[in-house]
Amino acid sequence: MAEIEEGGERPANAVCTEPEEPAEGAGGDGAGSGGDRTGGGDGASSGGAGARGVVAAIVGVVGELLITAGLVLALFVVYSLWWTNVLADREAQREGSKVRDGWEQSERPGAIDIAGGIGFLHVPAMSSNDVLVKKGTEPDELNQGIAGYYTSPVKSALPQDQSGNFSLAAHRDGHGAKFHDIDKIEKGDAVVFETKNTWFVYKVYEILPETSRYNVGVLDPVPEESGKKEAGRYITLTTCTPVYTSKYRYVVWGELERTEDVDAERTPPKELR
Amino acid sequence: MYGWIWRHLPGNTPVRTVISVILVLGVVYLLFQYVFPWAEPLLPFNDVTVDGAAGAGGAA
Repeated sequence: MAEIEEGGERPANAVCTEPEEPAEGAGGDGAGSGGDRTGGGDGASSGGAGARGVVAAIVGVVGELLITAGLVLALFVVYSLWWTNVLADREAQREGSKVRDGWEQSERPGAIDIAGGIGFLHVPAMSSNDVLVKKGTEPDELNQGIAGYYTSPVKSALPQDQSGNFSLAAHRDGHGAKFHDIDKIEKGDAVVFETKNTWFVYKVYEILPETSRYNVGVLDPVPEESGKKEAGRYITLTTCTPVYTSKYRYVVWGELERTEDVDAERTPPKELR
Repeated sequence: MYGWIWRHLPGNTPVRTVISVILVLGVVYLLFQYVFPWAEPLLPFNDVTVDGAAGAGGAA
């Protein structure tokens, strides 16, 4: 019985393996017949089939180019929204610690190049991180993951000036995206600027959620659009809006509330605690 | 196009796969290092300053 069963299995195995070979053969036959078919087509009208082949090849290449273009655009989004942040944050980190090191070694004034960094902006409503502030709002400068103060079209005042408008710009997206959450700032929120010796505590008093890029008046020493008529010590934050585009500008105005001297431990003012 | 490249790569399938991955990474590197930084200021996605008409061409 067992022998018969084994004997029965063997042919079964043989049957199992056998069909594969014919199947391959059949596949080969199929391909062969396919080849025969195109061959027949060639035989019927060789010029037509050749043209069809050329058209198919062109369509194929165009399709592949379109897919490639889509992938490149997707990569560009990745680059804009992620990679530039990585690069900018790295550079801002390095530059920021350079500035702080320079402050610490203040017994040798001027000995360390602080690379134009004048201080750090703290906006607790927007981010718990500080933002290095440097001179200039050119792309090269803002792409370092910093906020820049305007040199043109309206020259910014500096916080220590007795009056004027300390006007800043930073990226909304990419390149550090330091003002990404500018829409989280509300009236009454604190904006603190930290320099080597002083904390400048500003209070936000007016927000302009959308304005033209040509509206340079928002940077004026007395920004009348914010409702102010007299000279004072103001701060202006500008960036683009809505997010991911540059259609309009978003503007936040603050006014100096008080200053605090920096102590030995650099204890932050109560707004930052 | 990609089929043509694949057919012209040397070696067997694993070798071609490795070469393909290296080629793709190389292209991505070139894009991130040179092409995108060049293209970005030309596109209107990241102008953050108020700068009037004069600076309209330059992103900031």
